[in-house]
Amino acid sequence: MIRYLLGRVGQAVLVLMVTFTAAFLLLQALPGDAIMIKFMSPDMALSADQIAEIRAAYGADLPIWERYFRTLANFLTGNFGYSIQAGVPVSQQLQVNLPPTLQLASLGFLTAIILTIAIAALSNVVGMSWLRTAIQSMPSLFISVPVFWLGIMLIQVFSFQLGLVSVISPGPVERLILPVLTLAIPISAPLSQILMRNIDEVLAQPFVAVAKAKGASHTWVLWRHVARNAVLPTLTIAGVLFGELLAGAVVTEAVYGLNGLGGLTNQAVGNHDTAVLQAIVVISALAFVSINLVVDLLYPVLDPRLGSKIGMAT
Amino acid sequence: MFLAKNLGLLAGALASLASVAFVPGDAAAQGAVTKGGTLIYLEQQPHTNLYPPAGGFYPNGGVLNQITDKLTYQNPKTLEIEPWIAESWKVNADATEYTFKLRPGVTFSDGTPVDAAAVAKNFDVYGLGDKTLKHPVSEVITNYKGSEVVDPLTVKFFFTKPSVGFLQGTSVIGSGLVSLKTLALPFDALGDATKIIGSGPFVVKSEVLGRELVMEARKDYAWGPAKLAHQGRANLDGIKYVVTPEDSVRIGALLAGQAQIIRQVQAYDEKQVQSKGFVIYAPSTRGINNSVVFRPDNPLVSDIRVRRALLHAVNAKEIVATLFSANYPQAKSIIASTAQGYVDQSAKLTYDPVLAAKLLDEAGWTLGPKGIRQKDGKELVLTAYESLPQPQNKETLQLVAQQWAKVGVKLNVLAGDAGSRVADNLDPLKTPVAPAMVGRADPDVIRSQYYPTTRNVLMQKGGISNKVQTFVDDKLNALLEAIAAETDPAKRMALVGEVQAYVIDQGYAIPIFEEPQAFAASPKVKDFAFEAVGRPAFYAVWLAPK
Repeated sequence: MIRYLLGRVGQAVLVLMVTFTAAFLLLQALPGDAIMIKFMSPDMALSADQIAEIRAAYGADLPIWERYFRTLANFLTGNFGYSIQAGVPVSQQLQVNLPPTLQLASLGFLTAIILTIAIAALSNVVGMSWLRTAIQSMPSLFISVPVFWLGIMLIQVFSFQLGLVSVISPGPVERLILPVLTLAIPISAPLSQILMRNIDEVLAQPFVAVAKAKGASHTWVLWRHVARNAVLPTLTIAGVLFGELLAGAVVTEAVYGLNGLGGLTNQAVGNHDTAVLQAIVVISALAFVSINLVVDLLYPVLDPRLGSKIGMAT
Repeated sequence: MFLAKNLGLLAGALASLASVAFVPGDAAAQGAVTKGGTLIYLEQQPHTNLYPPAGGFYPNGGVLNQITDKLTYQNPKTLEIEPWIAESWKVNADATEYTFKLRPGVTFSDGTPVDAAAVAKNFDVYGLGDKTLKHPVSEVITNYKGSEVVDPLTVKFFFTKPSVGFLQGTSVIGSGLVSLKTLALPFDALGDATKIIGSGPFVVKSEVLGRELVMEARKDYAWGPAKLAHQGRANLDGIKYVVTPEDSVRIGALLAGQAQIIRQVQAYDEKQVQSKGFVIYAPSTRGINNSVVFRPDNPLVSDIRVRRALLHAVNAKEIVATLFSANYPQAKSIIASTAQGYVDQSAKLTYDPVLAAKLLDEAGWTLGPKGIRQKDGKELVLTAYESLPQPQNKETLQLVAQQWAKVGVKLNVLAGDAGSRVADNLDPLKTPVAPAMVGRADPDVIRSQYYPTTRNVLMQKGGISNKVQTFVDDKLNALLEAIAAETDPAKRMALVGEVQAYVIDQGYAIPIFEEPQAFAASPKVKDFAFEAVGRPAFYAVWLAPK
């Protein structure tokens, strides 16, 4: 197990290095750079000499390999550089934007899971067939609703019409209610579709018939026998979706005016703010790698059969 | 002109207010000002670097205008320069030496004095830049040589060449005075509003980068512009800026009472706001009108007949009527009718597609099989990038494209990423056409807009672009240099008139409309004022009780 872990951590470090290098090269390949966008825009009305001085001061005229190793050395010592557009250290931007994104993503994810379980459970427990159909079609509805529209509708109804929550000066909990819902609803859709489908598949397997023949109730079978087996593929998808959540909250953040990584990324992309993007890419890669590691480690806990396979593979 | 426009605005405001039976009056004069309270202001975009010369970006100016004072105050109605931190000033005959006498007792919010030494250092940085700290030179200060501290309250500035625009330049956002501690910080640290220490009526208390900013009134503030009706500390206790990018959320929050003032209201949203009894403020930016300019270095538009044809093929009236409102007057020159030195050029700006077609025929561009004009096997297809800060610029350019299509000219409107946009806009071959607009209430803005070493919108040779082959207009440049140097105000205004006529005659620019800054406010907001180019001033603002 320890060997397995070490191997996985080594893989993760390799993935991060490759990501760092690829991001660096791709960002250099873009036409123009942040200095050009900031200082050569007509708004600054600078002369060619003044711009040349600024480029030299930023070290932008050094050869690419030298800039690469400088940036890498800075990253390893925790120095992410400055955002040229915003005029603040990248570390300060991350400090302000990372915690709210993590909080929003985690709560959104948790809510999505609760919604998923509720939908899947209800669709298997409810007796009336029309209600069952209605519940089963909810994920299709959720997945078709554009996040942008959903966010604006929630604000219009709950904040502006009913006055239940404030979006402009909310309290710490109030601030999160609508954004978390906005984020959770579309995430819960693919999860519940997969979970419901897997439950159906597992229910069709012979051991369920055996359990029922032994006198187990439908609910008992569902919770004790089916859920565990049906949850594995859902977990895989959930791992992928959570990674997407981190960067994918752009729309939610823009609609609610929340600060977070999504908005930061959006602005940094718009301005080719290389230092910011480089840091965000590496952090996102780190998040993806860690979550996949956690998901892989969770498999054998849920299904003991997988534990021995891992042992053999490494 | 200015009065007529404002009366129109006032009438609109009155009409909308009447629906809630609210009678506006100058409550300040009646002594009924309510002091205290926090105003919530919704901004569309987060501020960027707050180095004062970068205050041209409206979100930056909206912050800087509350926390910094300027040497002089430009009266937004008369556009005259009035005392502020400088009590008086003297300019020598050829405008190469300026002496300012400062008001005593003024302090920055860190307690240090706003004295001759601090003022001198501010302008040394803005006028010369600072290579080690990466501070760029300010656009409004030209030919700056240096400063001299004559005595603790007297400072003198020297220029290598006449610099007539400097006095007005001391009144703009970009010349906001900041503490020596702020100037000692590198450029890269000035995006943090709490680090900008000014002497203004408000102080930044805290900030969540990119999300919100809290300002507090300075209780000991006693040095507002001498001629303003309001004196002493600000009426409000504080202001909370909240960045709310989504238009519908800003408007909804205003109407629901969660905010009192919002910036950036599109023309199509004005009715919705006014019908609920809220007020639209649309102060003019008093500079270069929202226009389309040509880059004559590109052979497609190097012929004056082609440019003049395209000028007459644009129906600015239709653009304003389709996309905008009464707050966006149709342009009558390259500068706003509220700008200094404005001369009506509307006789030369007529919509005349027949003349346009005739001029294009004369220039040798004949209609091809696809309805696009051709010459020597080349099609007359032009390209422009949309400009994000200008209101509905993409729609404006698309409408121009439709109008040009009627005379057989194709215009491609590109969005592009910021990098391509800036790079391609420096290359006349890639962007023969570009949108343009600048807000500044001094004729110097025209020089800055067209002169090769500054904004250089026509892309003349001699600017920052290395893609320009040959295009230089010596006559235009001589006129622009004369505007910067002419010390006699009447002669200077005559030159300003001459440049307007020249630019239109050459077909260099097609002015479309006079751009306002659009704000919406709750009827409870009183004495909401703007500096000369439409940035909000919250100094005298107060909130009426219900």
